[in-house]
Amino acid sequence: MAASGLIAVEGLNHTFGGKVNALEDVSFTVAPGEFVSIVGPSGCGKTTALNIVAGLVPLEHGTVTIDGATPRAGRHDVAYMLARDCLFPWLTALENAELGNAFRDMPKEERRAKAIQLLDSVGLRDFKNAYSKELSHGMRQRVALARTFSMPSPCLLMDEPFGALDAQTKLQLESLLLELWSRERRSVIFITHDLNEAVLMSDRVIVMSARPGRIVADIPIPLERPRSVRSLQKDPRFHELYAQIWEKLEYGVFDTNMAEQ
Amino acid sequence: MSMTIAKPSVRVRSAANAGKRLRWNSIGSAIWPWQLLTLIVFGLLWEYVAANRIIDPLFIGTPSRILSFFFTELFVTGSLASDVLWTLAGTGIAFGLGSLAGIATGLLFVSFPATEKFCDPFFAALNALPRIALAPLFLLWFGLGIGSKIALGFSLTYFIVLSSTVAGARSVDRDFLTLARTLGASRTKIFLRITLVSAVPTLFSGLRLGLIYSLLGVIAGEIIAAQHGLGQQLSYLAGTFQIDGVFAVLLLLALLGSGLTYGMSALESRLIRWR
Ligand SMILES: Nc1ncnc2c1ncn2[C@@H]1O[C@H](COP(=O)(O)OP(=O)(O)OP(=O)(O)O)[C@@H](O)[C@H]1O
Ligand SMILES: [Mg+2]
Repeated sequence: MAASGLIAVEGLNHTFGGKVNALEDVSFTVAPGEFVSIVGPSGCGKTTALNIVAGLVPLEHGTVTIDGATPRAGRHDVAYMLARDCLFPWLTALENAELGNAFRDMPKEERRAKAIQLLDSVGLRDFKNAYSKELSHGMRQRVALARTFSMPSPCLLMDEPFGALDAQTKLQLESLLLELWSRERRSVIFITHDLNEAVLMSDRVIVMSARPGRIVADIPIPLERPRSVRSLQKDPRFHELYAQIWEKLEYGVFDTNMAEQ
Repeated sequence: MSMTIAKPSVRVRSAANAGKRLRWNSIGSAIWPWQLLTLIVFGLLWEYVAANRIIDPLFIGTPSRILSFFFTELFVTGSLASDVLWTLAGTGIAFGLGSLAGIATGLLFVSFPATEKFCDPFFAALNALPRIALAPLFLLWFGLGIGSKIALGFSLTYFIVLSSTVAGARSVDRDFLTLARTLGASRTKIFLRITLVSAVPTLFSGLRLGLIYSLLGVIAGEIIAAQHGLGQQLSYLAGTFQIDGVFAVLLLLALLGSGLTYGMSALESRLIRWR
């Protein structure tokens, strides 16, 4: 699996309705199996960039390739996860977890086995037949994780998947995600507003400026894996990296505010 | 030190809901005896007012006579029973045809929005027309029998179910569609497994309303001109000043209406357990 999943974004520009300049000359690559976070002020175009890679927003200027092919919504090599769990309320946790593979016509026994295995690893063994109204917020997002990881796609696109969770649940799900990811490394683009989360999870953190979104820094995170939240909190390198990203982010916001005045 | 931009918490609302449910449950167990008592007191008061001619029973009837009429005509002589069957048959057929046609048209509108755009002004005008005004025409076309009643019920139910089908299909969560697209679902699968399923709750409230309106249409048709049915009985009894009979039929209609709604709700909660 690690052999594929190369995402290359080159010279991306995007303008909504001829007015809102959302992205300006955005270029980056994600190597196979690499975990890349994107941080940046609200409205800077992170979701837009991700949706272009996912094929949900048509490409205007620049080139985007996933293993050499152009993006298209529904491509089997991409799995997408949103901040909202988006579980279908009329399906059970198990049916939701196997939904992606069901839409992709994977044989029933195979996708069911996969979904059961993933629900087990996210700790929902006893909630397979629960409807989403019967699950807590964190549990629903676990089902969404199971749904995302049960698809054999080499690229994962995640738009603030833990953005709506409380701090504690978030920590749990972060380590869960890291564990799932480290089993079979896939390429990940992970959007977040939480710098702790970005440093904790990523191989690289891309910092974007306020609108129009440009890349102001691309910072490698050379902390060894497997990582644990606890030990990282004591690691001075962690705090250094955090401060470095924070500075770039502040600069990006400040810079544009000055320009607008 | 973490720079987390807070998202609004979703927990507040569900906590408030839980509180509400709890309170209603604790009242709910004790409320029906009081309701029954209120009904009995009201009946007794009515009986008293009528028996002492504070208001002439010619206009308001007498509860004891209403009840005795109700039981004799329904269970002893059975003369009301055949009218019930006529009315229910008319309602059932009007509802069945009206909702099938309404759902079919609604799905057509949703799958091909151009058809809706084209039909919209015509349908809006027809829907704005007071349907009872069509009754004379229907009598002319379909005769005094059950046909004209079905037509009237159909004309009401059809538009209600049509608009609830369209509203239901439109109410589908945008994020669900986005997600399904990224998961690789085909257009047909999205329509069948997401749009249609999302429409079911709204559709059901339309069906419940449509059923009541079918009954309304059939009864109205029977009142205007008919040989059978509760509406026909009602207008005959009122015309011959049998006020107890009128109230007995009204009671029967209220019971029938509630029964139909109840059955529909039971079916609904059976079919959409996930809600
Ligand atoms: N469909 C659209 N039509 C017009 N403008 C849009 C559309 N989607 C996004 N925009 C604009 O593009 C800009 C970037 O939006 P985007 O959602 O990508 O930001 P974001 O970085 O994801 O923000 P957040 O962190 O708040 O999620 C915003 O100014 C927004 O108003
Ligand atoms: Mg966003």
